[in-house]
Amino acid sequence: MPAAIEFRKVGFAHAERAIFDDLNFRIEEREMTALVGPNGVGKTTLLKIVAGLLRPTSGTVLLEGRALESWSRRELSCYAALIPQHLDVPFAFRVEEIVAQGRVPHLRRFSGPSERDLEVVEKAMQAVDILGLRERAYADLSGGERQRVKIAIGLAQQPKVMMLDEPTQHLDLGRQIELMELLRALRERGITIVAAMHDLALVRENFSSVILLTPEAASIAGPTADVLRPELLERAFLVDRSSLRRHVSAESLS
Amino acid sequence: MRRRPKTSSTLVTLAVSLLLAGVVSAGLGAVRVPIRSVIRALLDPAEAGDAGIILFTLRLPRVMAAGLVGAGLSATGVLFQGLFRNPLADPFVLGASGGAALGGAIAVFLVPTMSIAGISATALLAFAGSLLTMAVVWSLARAGGNFAVENMLLAGFAIGTMLNAASSALELGKEASNPGMRILTAWLHGEVGVPSWTQVSIVTVVELAALVLAIPLTRQLNTLALGEEYAEQLGVRVGQLRILVVVIGSVLTALAVSLGGLIGFVGLLVPHVLRIILGPDHFRLLPAAALSGAMFLIVADTIARTAFAPTEIPVGLLTAFIGGPAFLYLLNQKNKKKRSASL
Repeated sequence: MPAAIEFRKVGFAHAERAIFDDLNFRIEEREMTALVGPNGVGKTTLLKIVAGLLRPTSGTVLLEGRALESWSRRELSCYAALIPQHLDVPFAFRVEEIVAQGRVPHLRRFSGPSERDLEVVEKAMQAVDILGLRERAYADLSGGERQRVKIAIGLAQQPKVMMLDEPTQHLDLGRQIELMELLRALRERGITIVAAMHDLALVRENFSSVILLTPEAASIAGPTADVLRPELLERAFLVDRSSLRRHVSAESLS
Repeated sequence: MRRRPKTSSTLVTLAVSLLLAGVVSAGLGAVRVPIRSVIRALLDPAEAGDAGIILFTLRLPRVMAAGLVGAGLSATGVLFQGLFRNPLADPFVLGASGGAALGGAIAVFLVPTMSIAGISATALLAFAGSLLTMAVVWSLARAGGNFAVENMLLAGFAIGTMLNAASSALELGKEASNPGMRILTAWLHGEVGVPSWTQVSIVTVVELAALVLAIPLTRQLNTLALGEEYAEQLGVRVGQLRILVVVIGSVLTALAVSLGGLIGFVGLLVPHVLRIILGPDHFRLLPAAALSGAMFLIVADTIARTAFAPTEIPVGLLTAFIGGPAFLYLLNQKNKKKRSASL
C-alpha cells in the first residue's frame, strides 16, 4: 500500500542555506506521527512542502504514491490540511465565518457555500466542541479556543491528512491533554495525523511513530519507542546524556 | 454578540435612502426647488420649466458626481482594507488618490485635449498614477518579505505627500488664466464640480462595471483574512487576487479623483461604520459601502455648497475635518488592542 506521505531524498535550501538535503521517510495512513527536532531544523518547512506552499529543491515527495507535482492545488487542499502555529484574523470575523473558509477548496471559484457545505462546517465545529463559540469574534478567543477553531477549519476541508505545527504551544496542561484526546479521536475516524511537537512526554503517550530531525540534516523515522532513545535525542538536540536524564522524565525516554 | 441585519433588507434600505438623499440634495441651493417638483421634473423632464434648467444643468450632474465619488472611494476602501488586511487602508491614506491627481494634473497641462480610444488622456494618466502608486506602496510595505502595517502607512504617507507636492509644483510659473489652473486647484482642495452629462455617463458605466467585477473577489478577500499563506493553502491564487484588486481599486480611485479630486477619509470612515453594523464579510460590505458612500458624500457636498452660501467650501475640507479625528481614533483603538494582546 502506498504511504500517505513519502519523502525520497528530499532537500530544501533557502537563500543558499540547506535546511535539509536528504530526507527519507514514510508516513503510513491512519498513523499519528510526531515530527521532533530542535528549533530551525526544518519541521515547519517540511509541513509546508507537503501542503504545497514550498517547493523542495531536490528529491521526490509522494502522496498516496503520486508525485506531489502532479497534484492540483485543489486536490492537494482537499487531501492535506495544514494547521498553522499562528492564525491572526483582522476585523471581527466570527468563528463560524472562519471555519467556513475550510470549504473554499471544495467550492467552485467565486461561488459561496451550499447547504451541504454548511452542514460540513456544522459537523466540523461539533467535532471540536465549539458550537457555543460560533458567534464570537475569533480575535476575542483564548489560545485553547483558537486552537480548536483552527482544527475545525482543517476538518471542514475534509482532509485525509491533518498536519499541525506545534499545536500544544502556549496551551496549559489541561488544554494540551484535551487536544491530544481530540487528535486521537480524529485518528480513530481515519484521519492521518502529523504534528510538529516539542513535548516528548506528550509524544511518547500519544503518537505511534516519530520522525526525528537532527541538525546534521538527517532524519530518523520509526515507531515512537525506537526513536525516542537517549542516544538519538542526544544527537538531535546536542545535549549530553546526564542533562537529558535530569530534565526529561524517564518515562519519556525508552 | 449583536445580531446582524439581513443583507437584502440592508441594501434595499440603503438604496431608498440614497435616492431620497439625492432628491433632497437636488432641491437645495440658492434657488430652492420643492421635493415634489424635483420628482416631477425627473419623471417628465420636458415639462419642468425653469426649475428643470437648474436641476438638469447644475444640480443633478453635481449630485451624481458626488454620489459616484463617494461610492468609488468607499468601495475602494473595502477592497484595499481586505487586501491589506487592515482597516486603515484607504485610497487617500495609501497615496493612490495623490497618484491619480498628479497623473491627471500632468495630462491637464501637457495634453489637455488628447484622447485615446475615446477615453481622455486625463483619465488614463490618473489611472496610471494611482496604479503606480499602489504598486510602489505595496512593495515598500512588504520590504523584507513580511508585510508590516507601519511600513504601509509610512510609505503611503510619504509617497502621498510627495505626489501632492508635485501636483502643487505644477502650478508654479503658470498664468492664473491657464484653464488647467482652475482644474488643478479644485482637485487639490477636493471640490466636486459640475461635470458634463457625457462625463457623468462615462464614469457611471465604468464605475458600475468595476464594481460588478469586484463582487466575485469579495469572497476571496474573506479567505485572505486568514493570511496570505493560509489563503494560498485553501486554493486562493493570492498573486492574481492582489493584481485584480489593485487594478480595480485604481480604476475606481482614478474615476473618483477625476470628478472630485483629493477627498480624504471617505474610504476609511464608511467601511468602518458599516463593519460595526453588518460585520466584516466583504461580500456584504462592498455593495453596502458603495451605496452608503454615495449617500455620505451627497450629504457632505450638499452641506459644503449650502452651509456658507454664497461661499462654497470644498467637500474635501469637510471630510478632512470629520475624517482626520476619526482616523486618529481608529489608530488609537488599534494600538490599544495590540497593547492588551501583548499583556
